[in-house]
Amino acid sequence: MACLERASPALKEILLKLYRANKSIEIDHHLYEFGSVEYHIQSSASDEHHMYLSISTPLLSQEVLLPYGISHHTKQMITAICSDVVEIIEPAKEGYQLTLRLDFSKLPSGKDTLKVIAEISAVQAIILSSRLKEMLMNVDSHDTFQGMYKPIKLVYRPSEPFFIVRQPQKFIAVFPIHFKDKPDVIIATTFFQELMDVGSSEKWAKAPPCCWSPIPPPELRGELFEDLSTTGGFVSFEISSWHVKGKKLDKTVWSLLNFYAYVKFHVKSTRSFIQRRMRKRLEGLVELLHKRNIKEVEVEEEEEEQSRKIQGCKCMIRISNLPKPTVLKRRYNAFSRTIKRIRSRIKIQGFGRFRRRWLKMPKFSSSMGYTKLE
Amino acid sequence: MVGANTLRLYLTCIRNTLDAAMCLQNFPCQEVERHNKPEVELKTSPELLLNPVLICRNEAEKCLIETSINSLRISLKVKQADELENILTKKFLRFLSMRAEAFQVLRRKPVQGYDISFLITNYHCEEMQKHKLIDFIVQFMEDIDKEISELKMSVNTRGRLVATEFLKQFI
Repeated sequence: MACLERASPALKEILLKLYRANKSIEIDHHLYEFGSVEYHIQSSASDEHHMYLSISTPLLSQEVLLPYGISHHTKQMITAICSDVVEIIEPAKEGYQLTLRLDFSKLPSGKDTLKVIAEISAVQAIILSSRLKEMLMNVDSHDTFQGMYKPIKLVYRPSEPFFIVRQPQKFIAVFPIHFKDKPDVIIATTFFQELMDVGSSEKWAKAPPCCWSPIPPPELRGELFEDLSTTGGFVSFEISSWHVKGKKLDKTVWSLLNFYAYVKFHVKSTRSFIQRRMRKRLEGLVELLHKRNIKEVEVEEEEEEQSRKIQGCKCMIRISNLPKPTVLKRRYNAFSRTIKRIRSRIKIQGFGRFRRRWLKMPKFSSSMGYTKLE
Repeated sequence: MVGANTLRLYLTCIRNTLDAAMCLQNFPCQEVERHNKPEVELKTSPELLLNPVLICRNEAEKCLIETSINSLRISLKVKQADELENILTKKFLRFLSMRAEAFQVLRRKPVQGYDISFLITNYHCEEMQKHKLIDFIVQFMEDIDKEISELKMSVNTRGRLVATEFLKQFI
């Protein structure tokens, strides 16, 4: 499948394991990957140096059907990975489009080893992108067709075809977008509008101009109704010769092949982002509700405690506000009452009056005091 | 500025109406013995229901307050300017409604024609402070608007970043 990573991780791991093994291992693995891709890896103990890798993958275009399904140009690209190591076996094994014989004894040493193994693991991507590369390489070709150029339909999955329309000095890649859920359609549409906005800015003048429309573009007039009925509209990219020069050809082709996967991944991540955000907000709102009610109870409890404290301290506050002589007098009176209480422990009826008249302390008149004259 | 003013007026009006309407008391069900049901939901006894109040900020935003002797129902319609806000609002409010037990006063299903509904009974008023409940509802309304706007901005920003990254591959 035209997924975002070129090299198959499982295939890479097996190839590395075989390369690092000191002795030859007997292996017969079938690997199945998303997008109807199948690998068959065979290695026998008797043949130390060689192993066989067979690949079956759906081809991109339905138009050109070759006897072996792989074009000559594709075979050249595969052999160019490392001609010493990779050899194409013809005919390919039954049920597979391509069989390779790999000779690990001829692998270059050092960092290049990993690079070659990674490129071998990405052979499916090479097969898939070769058809589109062949078409885009001829963007500057001057074969003239009178009138309109017929769109070429490239199909990897039945539900995700896209069209390449050849025009003078450029190609237009048109992607009909289809989503089942309405929220997905809206998120994708928002993305396409941002794509148009960003692409039309001066900073991104070198990027291929992008256009989104809810109706089929005029280039697709005459195509089947099933191909033109979509929920998410149509996205078009104009590919000019600048975008396919040198190393950019590979990047451009890979980006176009991965466009559907890219959009779907973005929609999925946005949905999970919205879900995370909502969950966080929910926690905040629930906390707000409970906090309001708990906080009020706590404040009430605090107020009650404070009022109790204030009542206990009332007399202390009042005494501290009085002048010093008054304070001393009060203390003396309290002290004398205590002494009297201690002395007169036995209570006799009527004794109190006797005590007050005959047993009280004499008062000495002071010079400051006033004595009334009779 | 004008929008902020109208929002303030709208929220103040809702607050004052809730303050007047949230005078709930326990009232056993007249239809079924030993049952106690929120009369605003049943609507079987007209003498127990007060006149519903509809407060509209504009055509898109409104609040319906229905009161009865022992319960109060508040239904809100949130503004949705475009399709993106529409799906975000629907998603978010549905998310909250499905977790209504966490809020206690939230209704699991909004009243028809509205986006979200609250059901407050006399028991809620006994457990919680009345003025704090009203504060919560008003704050909730403000937070929903704010959250939807922030979500929309985040989705647009993410789209822009992803678009930038995609176009970088061609350069």
